[in-house]
Amino acid sequence: MKVSYFETGRYNVSPDLPREWPVPSAAYDPATGAEAFRGMVERAKFVEALGFDWVSVSEHHYSPRILTPSPVVSAAWLAARTEKIKIALLGPIVPSSNPIRIAEELAMLDTMAPGRIVVGLLRGTPNEHLGYDLNPREARERTDEGMELILRAWAEPQPFGWQGRYFQYRTVSIWPRPQHGPHPPTYALGTSAEAADFAARNRIGLGVSYGTFDLVAKSTRYYREQCIRYGWEPGPDDILYRANMILAETDDAAEAALSRRGAQPGFPLRAALRDALVQADQRNIGGEKRPAHVSGVLPISFCGGPDRVVEQIRHCREVVGAGVLDLSLQDPGSGTVDAMLRALELFGDKVLPRIREI
Amino acid sequence: MVETGEGSKTDAAGQAFREGFIEADGFCIRLMEAGQGPPLLHLHGAGGLRLTRGHDLLSQRRRVVAFEMPGFGRSPENTRTRTMEELAATMATAALRLGIDTFDLMGTSFGGKVALWLAVQQPERVRALVLEAPAAIRPVGTEPPSGSAEEIARRLYAHPERLGRLPVIDPAVQTKTRALVGRLRGPDRDPELENRLRGLTTPALVLFGTLDRVIPPEMGRIYKALIPNCHLVFVYDAGHGISVDRPEAFAEIAADFLERREAFVISRADTLIHP
Repeated sequence: MKVSYFETGRYNVSPDLPREWPVPSAAYDPATGAEAFRGMVERAKFVEALGFDWVSVSEHHYSPRILTPSPVVSAAWLAARTEKIKIALLGPIVPSSNPIRIAEELAMLDTMAPGRIVVGLLRGTPNEHLGYDLNPREARERTDEGMELILRAWAEPQPFGWQGRYFQYRTVSIWPRPQHGPHPPTYALGTSAEAADFAARNRIGLGVSYGTFDLVAKSTRYYREQCIRYGWEPGPDDILYRANMILAETDDAAEAALSRRGAQPGFPLRAALRDALVQADQRNIGGEKRPAHVSGVLPISFCGGPDRVVEQIRHCREVVGAGVLDLSLQDPGSGTVDAMLRALELFGDKVLPRIREI
Repeated sequence: MVETGEGSKTDAAGQAFREGFIEADGFCIRLMEAGQGPPLLHLHGAGGLRLTRGHDLLSQRRRVVAFEMPGFGRSPENTRTRTMEELAATMATAALRLGIDTFDLMGTSFGGKVALWLAVQQPERVRALVLEAPAAIRPVGTEPPSGSAEEIARRLYAHPERLGRLPVIDPAVQTKTRALVGRLRGPDRDPELENRLRGLTTPALVLFGTLDRVIPPEMGRIYKALIPNCHLVFVYDAGHGISVDRPEAFAEIAADFLERREAFVISRADTLIHP
């Protein structure tokens, strides 16, 4: 089992900071922002020393709760200041981006930090589509096409054009190209049948997140079936699971922390907007229709002392099939960084050595 | 795209085209023609002439002449033509007999190889080339699609449903055509043709569908590397029959290239939202 730490920028959120998304930037404090980004490096070095395999970064906009609108900038910042830990961009939001720009920037990163960049290509949470004025009804198809174009831009040795449905280019020929193979290790992120189909057809990994083991297993099962249809079998490293964990010295202490957990959504929206977004944004898990997750609280997938968490990870591996866990040990925008670092240390000390063979 | 009902779209393709015949090299060659403007000649794939919505859209901007090459479709069996070079020469003669001296030339799959031979033989007559999934460079052992009409459609198209009704296969036509294609198609890599392509200065647009299951779209790289003035464009979500799978995308880029040649890489897309 490989383990990744999800780094969110950790802007120290004062209790009186507005919660509703988008959060007014008038409330932004430059010194706190600068501290958040200095802290990113410290935490990446910290988990590198603990033996974590990856540090992951994401793309979220207009909120202090995850302070990283550009995963590429985050990754460059971290890659230059760490030695060996892999930097996973989970991931650039494809449908609202220029796919060629993504291909170029990721190839740059892969060249700057050879063998250390991992890529996840993402459709994005519904609120993110508001930020760049993306029609949610087009998001799925733009993602599928954009991902294909990114893979093509990495692989194609001759200048080419792209006559797409949502993207059109007449001249593409990227420099630099990725360092090894056609591209760095790449995942399609999402639980949908479309993400799994794309990943299976292109022989890349699948990254799922936050659902219960049984729920995300629907998606990973569908992915494995599609891979077989395309004539290959994914390995454990091809399945990535992002989840929340509450880890304490004992089960009781973890349960107590769970009961104290302030159940605040990361990106709360007004009810009418939330309902309209759910209407506009059709989602599925492995082909089974399911409403979009908008404005909600993300579940805790692992909770306990080290022994119990090791057993939960073993169970997760059996049910979900994931060989890489991307973990948050504290909700973004809550708690203190020190408490999270203590949990990470406990994980590195008491859990990590025991899950390597899972 | 306006869909008026299942099966009606491509069934209705080619309604504006008129049938004609022209003599060349002793063959009576059938052709379908529509539109006004600079002439665009089309050479079909190994399955024979089938008009698509792509033809319709192109004929709104140019004079499109789609030939049925001798030995295909309704024409008598062709046992005389021995090589692609000969077939290309016959088609060049057919154009001359129509009074068309210089022209744009479009070739689909097998017809793409004929078009390339024609262009290297008579470069002064070909103003620009559009090659739809050309079959002049193939992975070793590539076979043309075969089987039932449904099986063939599934291999040719990413969206066979856009065909409307499947074509009815006449076994006699199929047998005759298969023998002809087998005799003419030549090796998967033809060193003589490829060598001559290096000296071809005609502007060429090579199109491959990203879902082509007959010839891998990666073959496009080789054309791009060989032909000095070549543009390679991938058509997303299209199979081997691009003009059936994505007729609007196909016709737009083909027409834009034929109109502007090399300058077609300069965007004219209007992105102004409000003045």
